[in-house]
Amino acid sequence: MNVKARKEALRYFFGKVVDPMGYKFSPDEELVDFSLEQEVLLEQKYGVPYCPCKRITASRSENMKIVCPCIPFNREHFDAMKRCWCGLFVHKDVTDPSKLKQFPAAALKKG
Amino acid sequence: MFVAVARTDEILPGGMKAVDRAGKKIVICNLDNTFYALERQCSHQGASLDMGTLDGYILTCPLHYAQFDIRTGEVLNGAVPPDHRNPTGNLTVYPVKMEADTIMVDM
Repeated sequence: MNVKARKEALRYFFGKVVDPMGYKFSPDEELVDFSLEQEVLLEQKYGVPYCPCKRITASRSENMKIVCPCIPFNREHFDAMKRCWCGLFVHKDVTDPSKLKQFPAAALKKG
Repeated sequence: MFVAVARTDEILPGGMKAVDRAGKKIVICNLDNTFYALERQCSHQGASLDMGTLDGYILTCPLHYAQFDIRTGEVLNGAVPPDHRNPTGNLTVYPVKMEADTIMVDM
């Protein structure tokens, strides 16, 4: 299968999904291209475009929470960071993703 | 040989129509008023693709969610879960031309 064509297809679908959630693709085009490529490879292996930054477990229900875009399952966490865990998606108002900080969800709960 | 298969007003943008002509099963897709004709049976297990969904240029099979680019017939994603014994191949795309409001397909 053509990885480039599939990347374009994922970009098409994901863009429509994340837009109503207030997110967009990161302006960092190199990161977006690399992340999507990893998702295509995961999809070819598992049949599902899992998040390339998270661990796939033996639990299907847990794995379903890391299918890209996993924003709905991590809304509070990602909204606080203004980006998803990978940085593939950022809030629509973000122009410089390099200024965004990544922190674990546990840090959010501690306040 | 080009054969008349449908009128343009029969297929709205984003819509599909199944057509049988000259012993071939094809599906006509309307992508923003540009029409494409492809073989109708999914290359994985032969499901009828006109029963699937057309989202932009991406046609998704109703049976195992294989996806195809209607512009080229290229498979964008194989069946889910992956079926390595029966891989999904590209679809045949037929040339289309318009004559007034008639869609003509070269079979």
